[in-house]
Amino acid sequence: MSKNKKISKWSVCVIFFAVILATSGAATLSAQTPEEELEREAQAIDRMIMCPVCPAETIDQAQVEISFQMRAVIREMLAEGRTREEIMDYFVDRYGPDILAAPPKSGANLLAWILPIVGVAAGLGVLYLIVRAMTGRGQPVPAPTANPSADTSSGLVANASASDDPELLPYLEIVDRTLASRRGGHPDLSPPAGGEGASGG
Amino acid sequence: MGDLGAISLWMALALAAYSCLGSVTGKLRGSAALVESAQAAMYAAVVVLFVSTLSLVVSFIARDFEIAYVARHSDLAMPDRFTWVAFYAGNEGSLLYIAMVLSAMAALAVWRAPERTRDALPYTTGVLMLVLTFFLAVTAVMANPFEKLPFVPPDGEGINPLLTHFGMFFHPPALMAGLVGISIPFAFALGSLLARQTGDEWVDAGRVWGIITWALLASGLLLGSWWAYTILGWGGYWFWDPVENAAFMPWLALTAFIHSIMVQKRRGMFRMWNIALINVAFALALYGMFMNRGGSVPSVHSFGESDLGWIFLMFLAVGLIVPFIIFFWRYPLLKSAQNLDSMLSREAAFLVNNLLLLAIAFVTLWGTVYPLVSELTSGEQITVARPFYDQVNGPLMLALVFLMGVGPMLPWRRANWASVRRALSVPAVVAVATVVVLLALGISKPFAVAGYGLAAFVAAGILMEWYRGSRARHRNSQENYAVAFLHLIWANRPRYGGYIVHLSVLMVALGIVGTSFFNTQKDVVLSPGETVAVENYEIRYLGTTQVVFGNRTEFISSVEVYRDGEYLDTINPNRAFYPSFNMASTRAAIRSTPVEDFYVVPSENLSNGDAGLRILVNPLIWWMWVAGPVMILGTVVALWPEPSRVPARAPSRATASAPA
Repeated sequence: MSKNKKISKWSVCVIFFAVILATSGAATLSAQTPEEELEREAQAIDRMIMCPVCPAETIDQAQVEISFQMRAVIREMLAEGRTREEIMDYFVDRYGPDILAAPPKSGANLLAWILPIVGVAAGLGVLYLIVRAMTGRGQPVPAPTANPSADTSSGLVANASASDDPELLPYLEIVDRTLASRRGGHPDLSPPAGGEGASGG
Repeated sequence: MGDLGAISLWMALALAAYSCLGSVTGKLRGSAALVESAQAAMYAAVVVLFVSTLSLVVSFIARDFEIAYVARHSDLAMPDRFTWVAFYAGNEGSLLYIAMVLSAMAALAVWRAPERTRDALPYTTGVLMLVLTFFLAVTAVMANPFEKLPFVPPDGEGINPLLTHFGMFFHPPALMAGLVGISIPFAFALGSLLARQTGDEWVDAGRVWGIITWALLASGLLLGSWWAYTILGWGGYWFWDPVENAAFMPWLALTAFIHSIMVQKRRGMFRMWNIALINVAFALALYGMFMNRGGSVPSVHSFGESDLGWIFLMFLAVGLIVPFIIFFWRYPLLKSAQNLDSMLSREAAFLVNNLLLLAIAFVTLWGTVYPLVSELTSGEQITVARPFYDQVNGPLMLALVFLMGVGPMLPWRRANWASVRRALSVPAVVAVATVVVLLALGISKPFAVAGYGLAAFVAAGILMEWYRGSRARHRNSQENYAVAFLHLIWANRPRYGGYIVHLSVLMVALGIVGTSFFNTQKDVVLSPGETVAVENYEIRYLGTTQVVFGNRTEFISSVEVYRDGEYLDTINPNRAFYPSFNMASTRAAIRSTPVEDFYVVPSENLSNGDAGLRILVNPLIWWMWVAGPVMILGTVVALWPEPSRVPARAPSRATASAPA
């Protein structure tokens, strides 16, 4: 526990130091001229517009005449004060929707953006159910310890890790595994060189 | 020479087909002799294919333009060392290369197969030889590199100028070897299913070959990025182009596989999952090769242009469906030896890791097919390119980096919150400190700050593990820290090799975040003598000289570079025009340091001596290229064969101190 306190003291020092840095440094940085900012925006738009004559390249990448011209048009329009959306609409009107490097986030094309999110969320949900089923159907193995309050299937590790000698943990884990293999489980007696997993500290 | 090559190619096809049939029939009939002769045929195929390969090489060196393939991909002006590249510059030669590599890898894998896979080995051989037969049949029948022209042209067409780059000596062969190499862990998995060996017999072979092919793909991808960075002339290195994606997706699936196979190796769990994963990786690899065979325009739209595409698509369907049928047929036999103990355990972390990796692969696949979906459903033509992948995959990758910091800190089976807190407190403090310092420096881009914070989190975790382990050894055995550290790594190579690979992934992340969020780009047209300032650099364009070579005209520009007003160097970005290809290729001039690259590439050369230049300051990209060797080092450490285990003192101590 004393180690934990040391760490937190140290962390307070670091954060304090950093906050001082922040307040002094914030003012001096992030000063960009309006021209630079306009060029940055122009480059961002360059990267969202495909080159109409070269396969799979944006006008930022393609080194051909038409992309030079399109880049110039973007800079002109920005100088006139048009927004990013207006410029992109301008190109879509001229070349069709496939001039955009990514489908617009509207209408039917919303599907392109939503499906990955739904897919990942569904995957997480299924994974949660599987993991719950896998942990739930576990046959509780009587813990060979005198601590009845501990979760029964956890063996020694959970109990030991609750005690305050974390150095012991990896070795207890081996004992656990040995016991498990004697009970007909999967034997694996590889020594935990250098401390297996959370050896604490 | 061409005839010898063609004959040996057909012989190899016969040997592979015989080996496939003989191996499986021999096993089913219980005829050991037949199985043995099938295996001999497999070894013989390597020799015969080597002869075929060699005869194509000799034809190239002799510039035997009667052979159509040689005439199309080389000319008299080509230096001999580019024979290596010219060999796989087209469909025909690259298919022969793939067959050669697969045959050699398969022979090696079967020859060195662990004893416990013996029983399933005839099926494994059968699967491998089936794949080889497919490639050889396609090569021999549809894309024969030894086909002859009706006349002998005086000179060849020459090698594609984009390929005459150092990176091209390794990038395509590594990628192709990696893609086809996935067949090997796949064949071990499928073989064990067919032989009803549904335990963990195939796991060691699967893991070793999984890691080898993973490293091949990873180095191929990195080298390809490096090649794009130095030669494509726009200053980037990755564009989520359909062909890049095609190699990236199987790599993702393999990454998931080499993680979750560890769980099976250690705990006998995830048996079905691992087989399903390697099936998916194999199918994605076939898809990748299919994309590359699509024709000149590497995209989904080139389906009709080459017959080869359809053949690959059909093989892809077979390669996806049949293994899954076998999988469900054997499904009842695939039971985990153990149950998952807790949601807070390394096993569970591996599952989340798998989910994220597959999610990235899924998003990438979805992005690749969406244009087709859109065209079929609404008739609207849509492009899906980099902005889409950046926005959707970016957050998933950040989550993956976070998991890379948490997963290895969790113990197997079951962790409790107290131990997790203990293990993660130092990395968390380092991460918070990093974020605060970055904010203090005025960096307010949320993704960049999160990226560096997470990278610091993971690096701190790994370094802390190393420090703790070394310190423990140092105290116990009086070794000095360096020796203790090396011993620590050597004592558990799979684990610490994995950490080294994780560090290399962080180095790549450093480069990606640096260039994506903090680079400066400027396009200028300069007259000789003119100067332009970019950040704290200034360049003076001196002029361009034209040098005419046999197959190209090079425009070599001279540019003086100053930093903070101080002269640094004179660099020579160049641009070459190849009249026979009507194509220009550029070589960027790059001053590389660990802090940032200063990068100048010519985009056009005007007739009055003016030059269009793109100037970039790319922070931290140096780390990305250095990550390659580090990754290889980690892989070698992780794969270094284990000696027979000596009984360690640790268990006895543990037994003594455990409550009985």
